[in-house]
Amino acid sequence: MRLNKTFLYGTATAATLALTLTACGGSGSGGSASGGTWDKNATVNIGSLYEPQNLDNTAGGGQGVTEALNGNVYEGLFKLTDDGKVEKLLAEDYKVGDDGLTYTFTLRDGVKFHSGKQLTSQDVKYSLERVIADDSQSARKSNLEVIKDIATPDARTVEVTLSKKSISFVYNLTYVWIVNSQAKDLKTAEDGTGPYTLDKWTRGSALSLDRFPGYWGDAASNKRVVFHYYKDATALNNALLTNAVDVVTSEQSPDALDQFKNNPAYKVTDGNSTTKLLLAFNNRAKPFTDVKVRQAVSAAIDDKKLLQSVWGEYGKLIGSMVPPSDPWYEDLTKVNAHDPDRARKLLAEAGYDKGFSFTLDTPNYDPHPTAATFIKSELAKVGVDVKINTITSDEWYTKVYKNRDFTATLQEHVNDRDLVWYGNPDFYWGYDDKQVTRWVQQAEEASTTDEQTELLKKVNRKTAEDAASDWLYLYPQIVVASSKLSGYPVNGLNSQFYAYDIEKKG
Amino acid sequence: MTRTDVLRPVRDEKAPPRGRQPRGSATLVTGCVLAGLIALLALVSLFWLPYPADDTSGGRLAGPGGGHLLGTDKLGRDLFTQVMTGSRIAVQAGLGSVLIAAAIGVTLGVLTAFAQGWLDDTLAAFLDILIAFPTLLLAMLIVAARSATLGSAVLAIGLAQSAVVARLVRVLVKRVLAQDYITAARTSGTSWPRTVAGHVLPNIWPTLVVNLALQFGLAVLAEAGLSYLGLGAPPPNASWGRMLQEAQATFTTAPAGALAPGILLVLLVIGVNLIADGLRDTLDPATRGRRA
Repeated sequence: MRLNKTFLYGTATAATLALTLTACGGSGSGGSASGGTWDKNATVNIGSLYEPQNLDNTAGGGQGVTEALNGNVYEGLFKLTDDGKVEKLLAEDYKVGDDGLTYTFTLRDGVKFHSGKQLTSQDVKYSLERVIADDSQSARKSNLEVIKDIATPDARTVEVTLSKKSISFVYNLTYVWIVNSQAKDLKTAEDGTGPYTLDKWTRGSALSLDRFPGYWGDAASNKRVVFHYYKDATALNNALLTNAVDVVTSEQSPDALDQFKNNPAYKVTDGNSTTKLLLAFNNRAKPFTDVKVRQAVSAAIDDKKLLQSVWGEYGKLIGSMVPPSDPWYEDLTKVNAHDPDRARKLLAEAGYDKGFSFTLDTPNYDPHPTAATFIKSELAKVGVDVKINTITSDEWYTKVYKNRDFTATLQEHVNDRDLVWYGNPDFYWGYDDKQVTRWVQQAEEASTTDEQTELLKKVNRKTAEDAASDWLYLYPQIVVASSKLSGYPVNGLNSQFYAYDIEKKG
Repeated sequence: MTRTDVLRPVRDEKAPPRGRQPRGSATLVTGCVLAGLIALLALVSLFWLPYPADDTSGGRLAGPGGGHLLGTDKLGRDLFTQVMTGSRIAVQAGLGSVLIAAAIGVTLGVLTAFAQGWLDDTLAAFLDILIAFPTLLLAMLIVAARSATLGSAVLAIGLAQSAVVARLVRVLVKRVLAQDYITAARTSGTSWPRTVAGHVLPNIWPTLVVNLALQFGLAVLAEAGLSYLGLGAPPPNASWGRMLQEAQATFTTAPAGALAPGILLVLLVIGVNLIADGLRDTLDPATRGRRA
């Protein structure tokens, strides 16, 4: 269903345009350990729709590899918690030089890889170099290309020099797995430092992890974790109903939820996601070169009704590219809010009082056709005729993303902190505002996160007022789990699913 | 003296000969009723629909009743309206594909029937290869080369089916060409085009029509399949295949969205298959002989 995620993940990185796929913020985790005793040696069965392509996140493994292995098998110098905070993990401490360009990391002592080897600074250097290597397909590659030099003065110290200031550097490091520099095969095997070791990966069906006895930190709360992969959401829900799996990492439709909501044997959580559905205008193509036309189209569409159609009572309206979990979030739903009268007025001012016609390139998988149908019917009310052109995800990549041969399109943007793409005039939607570009650059080179947040808030407001795109809605992140489970993550699940805190009652 | 000894007819002229015909016509009538029902829906949809096609005022997944005969879909559009539009698209797809298949298939079939020796073998193999190529795959190629419209889908299905029709026509024509009356026609100086038009086609058309009726049903299914994959008529056109796809996620909570197009699809395909069956019983002398 969300082909796009894997798709963007792979293709964008192939184009060295890292559309960063990350976790999202929010708070809380799947229920506190409620009464009763839990089984320390339990097996937790996790149901997912995203099987990895391979086990290497620098070789196009897809989002499934992040879901299964990030934090569970592999660890970074830092970790992004389920509520969106950056915490130290394999880095015990770090210092930033006064110029903001040199980062000195001290590694945690006594960390062992699953193969038994000690973690050294060489492994960190090797791991960083893997991500920025020429053949790397990592989603973080372009963000980390600011790395100019990596030095290893001793076994526990790593010194990284950047070519320019990058306030997001530490945050970006949460996506870099520290792997054993002597590991031979990372596509079908692993050698990380996480609380689990890979037991077996049966392609097309399951991937199992076992608790690692030599783990440096607190041992995992369960003995074994098995990710079961399904092609079809209905089959996945049925597996949950028959206890074949204990938890579904991300539900794709609200309609199957009633069977779990009214059943005390299950818990349904509604967490924060970072996936936004966009009506992306080609800001270089007429008539969307005119800000008034973009505003008019945005104002003509009743986003709330669309969200209810697709997600029922779930999901949120955001009115901008920024989800609530990003630090620079502001509620901008009132900017270019639904107002057909204003839309007609704006169209008249732009010289389109008789309306116009445009082609909407629509990916052929859910929810795009539904959204396109809805947009067509909404815009018809203000005299704008929409021609829906359905295309495959490959075509989308070639026609829209690479060749920019489109007028408007629909697309899911899954990443957190991806507002910054509006600062890149070469991005597919062609939004080119010199001030915004400058703000985005200044934000990345800011000295403090407050300064960065302040600048990006300006970018957010400006792009929203300009209706650079029409942000239709923010997806919900729905996890359904057996009531026997607690301690599972409820937010960042599209890419990460930390399994080590999950407690299962016997 | 009035004549009282009027001869009674041997049998009622209207009574069918005993045996096969009642069966044939019953099948034909049932088929016509089923397919006719859908055709009627399609016809009516040209002039009248319960709701405008893009009216989203119905509320999300409303159940049947309350102004909406079958309920509404996720966007609040009336399902019966969509089903009616869908029947039009299904009939269009069936007719369009069969016309293309017949035009190309018959021409190609007649021409290849005249081939001899190695050319004959090559052409036969070529047709077999074309048939072995999955319809859906060919359709996806054509849709990819052009764009996802009903026209592309119909063209693709028609092209794929023309190979099947061509092979059938080739065999039928070859069989007829071996008959004595063809030799007679030729020796009496009738030109080849006239022989084909006057002697060959009239002798193959019963079998051909039956086959085309079957192809109609297959074309309707293929179009639904393509639309299900998002490669048929683009939204907001309510093709049955698209409706099935959209209703899939909500099947357990709002089954009408999938049941309605599903049942109509089945009815139409059964309908045309029964028509084909009935036509074969009525038209095809070969099977009539066997059945009698």
